[in-house]
Amino acid sequence: MAEAPKPSSSVKLVLLGEAAVGKSSLVLRFVNNDFQENKEPTIGAAFLTQKCNLPTRTIKFEIWDTAGQERFASLAPMYYRNAQAALVVYDITKPTSLVKARHWVAELQRQASPGIVIALVGNKLDLAGESQSTSDEGEGEDGGDARKVSTEEAQAYAEEESLLFFETSAKTGHNVTEVFTAIANAIPETSLKSARGSGAAGTANRAGEEQRVNLSGPRDAGAKDGCAC
Amino acid sequence: MESLSDTQWDVVISGTGLQQSLFALESALSRSGKNILHVDPNEYYGEAEAVLSLQEVDEWAANHQSAQGDGVFAAAQATRPGGAESLSSSRAYSLALAPQLIHTRSELLSKLVSSKAFRQLEFLAVGSFYILQPKTSESSSTHSLSRIPSTREDVFTNTTISAKAKRGLMKFLKFVLDYDSEPQADVWKPHASDSLASFLATEFKLDADLQAYIITLTLGLDGKISTEAGLVAIHRHLTSMGVFGPGFAAVYPKWGGLSEVAQVGCRAGAVGGAVYMLGVGIKDVQKISAAAETPEEFNVVLTNDMTVKSKAIVRALGKPAGESRRLSRLTAIVNSGLPSIFETVTEGAPVPAVAVVAIPAGTTLGEDGASSEYPIYALVHSSDAGECPTGQCVLYLSSLTSPNAQTHLEKALSSLLTSLSQSSEESPKVLYQLYYEQTGVDAPSVEIDGQTAEFSLLPLDLAFNDSVLDSVKSAWEMINLNATDEERAEYLVFTDREGADAEDEFDD
Repeated sequence: MAEAPKPSSSVKLVLLGEAAVGKSSLVLRFVNNDFQENKEPTIGAAFLTQKCNLPTRTIKFEIWDTAGQERFASLAPMYYRNAQAALVVYDITKPTSLVKARHWVAELQRQASPGIVIALVGNKLDLAGESQSTSDEGEGEDGGDARKVSTEEAQAYAEEESLLFFETSAKTGHNVTEVFTAIANAIPETSLKSARGSGAAGTANRAGEEQRVNLSGPRDAGAKDGCAC
Repeated sequence: MESLSDTQWDVVISGTGLQQSLFALESALSRSGKNILHVDPNEYYGEAEAVLSLQEVDEWAANHQSAQGDGVFAAAQATRPGGAESLSSSRAYSLALAPQLIHTRSELLSKLVSSKAFRQLEFLAVGSFYILQPKTSESSSTHSLSRIPSTREDVFTNTTISAKAKRGLMKFLKFVLDYDSEPQADVWKPHASDSLASFLATEFKLDADLQAYIITLTLGLDGKISTEAGLVAIHRHLTSMGVFGPGFAAVYPKWGGLSEVAQVGCRAGAVGGAVYMLGVGIKDVQKISAAAETPEEFNVVLTNDMTVKSKAIVRALGKPAGESRRLSRLTAIVNSGLPSIFETVTEGAPVPAVAVVAIPAGTTLGEDGASSEYPIYALVHSSDAGECPTGQCVLYLSSLTSPNAQTHLEKALSSLLTSLSQSSEESPKVLYQLYYEQTGVDAPSVEIDGQTAEFSLLPLDLAFNDSVLDSVKSAWEMINLNATDEERAEYLVFTDREGADAEDEFDD
């Protein structure tokens, strides 16, 4: 058993955005460090977890990757309910996807938990001419700059709404880990379980997760904690 | 994209209550490829098992004020005794309409584990069970709280029970653990339908206090539980102790209990390809007359005036059919974390988020000597349950409805809060209070007629009743009459979908 492991907390994170902006690809890059060229659309939603190690604590993201093409907008409220963080994704080559992203931000601000950390993410940076030279596979563009949403425009909007802001490429991996690390750092300490918990504190290796009942195995499973990453 | 009315639906599910949602989970797990349309007339998930923000509760209460109500809920009344400014924002609260504990031995947890759906839920421990009684030595207006010892170690270390009583209690606990086998069965079977209280008095010489302890652990609503039903309930409680860790026999899903389970079911349904529509219900169903040999088919008219075709309908009855009972509920948000009630007593036990307090039938509640005809239970939820901000608690009190039930619940609440306050400080204050009555059944059932399944209302129990799962299974079998044995064997066993396998290696 590792000595004095860092406190670990779970954070529910939801991905929202128009269809085909690369939500699942971002998660796949973050969780598996992988990329699939013509990924099938997500049906409903997918659930994944990934740990993020910070200097003073470990954040375990419980990631809800939703389907962008959901027909009746009846599922999203269920996904962002109780979420502590949201990644609102748009495609920098598609201005309408930023319009959709703004709608999601407004809905989150109106309906989600107070204090939710929202990151605005412009994906497909690899299709922008200035950053990479490998964009010749880009959608119909012959190596040129397919960017249609300027960094300045999105950045200004993000600042206005107090959102974290990043431009990423799930394809090259550019900035992907940075988004999640920034979110992990932005989650207020007070909203993490490790900051609460009263009375009989758990043993060191269960710190922060002392209340959660583990249904998946023997209760000393916490001893494995810390060797995952 | 195909329009709704052009799709040939295999099943239209109406309502996102627990039963229909478990049915949706079932469909997703079977990967039967069935086309499923799942609708709910409400704008929220969970129907009678829903959790609501304060603003939603206010709207809900306004819609359920009348004494008759809508068939399930009635006589709703929300007040803010502490003034609006004492509460946090509406969305900082999630009040459960019908909170239930889940015993660790419940089949529901096995299903959630085998389907891997449990990973989307956060389970919290239900800690100690207490009994609130008038202090014998003082005036009847003060009450004290005693913790019920419910394991043999617990009885052993208890200092308030006499040695003689301890022997009787130990003997009983040992008896219950093996109550269904030979020598024990001979003892209780002749008294199976007698009251458990008299059985405890005659066979184990337990005094009134200990009888009250045991009867509380059965969580029976009318306080007159039979010996047989009582033994089943105590057995469930004792054998559930320690299953997932020391010191607790039941769990509660964070953020609102069964509502969370219902939502997990719907999410699985969505992942499996089902189409979800909130704010839309079924207005009318017409059977399309067909030749005797062909399968049934329905025209389903939705409340948005769209008509879809489906081979089967799964829904819940919105009102009681046959035997039903009514429960009075009083939900209160208080301005204290009530830390003493959530203390752990077993080493290594997780900090509980829920405590259970019982006030036995006939307990004197007020200075006027009023006493409740039925037991009153209070589920006390700390802020860790995710239903209120830190520094506050949500108390869910309930008892079977009687003419003075609301007054009794209010008195019980105030006695409980007084007993929990340290003598030096002010008693915790109620910031928000919601009263309502809920109709439910004793035993859940499902009515199957051809290709239509209708679930009954859920039971009003404090703990999840596993027979609900039988209803879901029957409905599932209805639409899978032609399923192979292999498919049936896969009932609620889930293989990971793409991406989800990343879970295991990172899971702790």
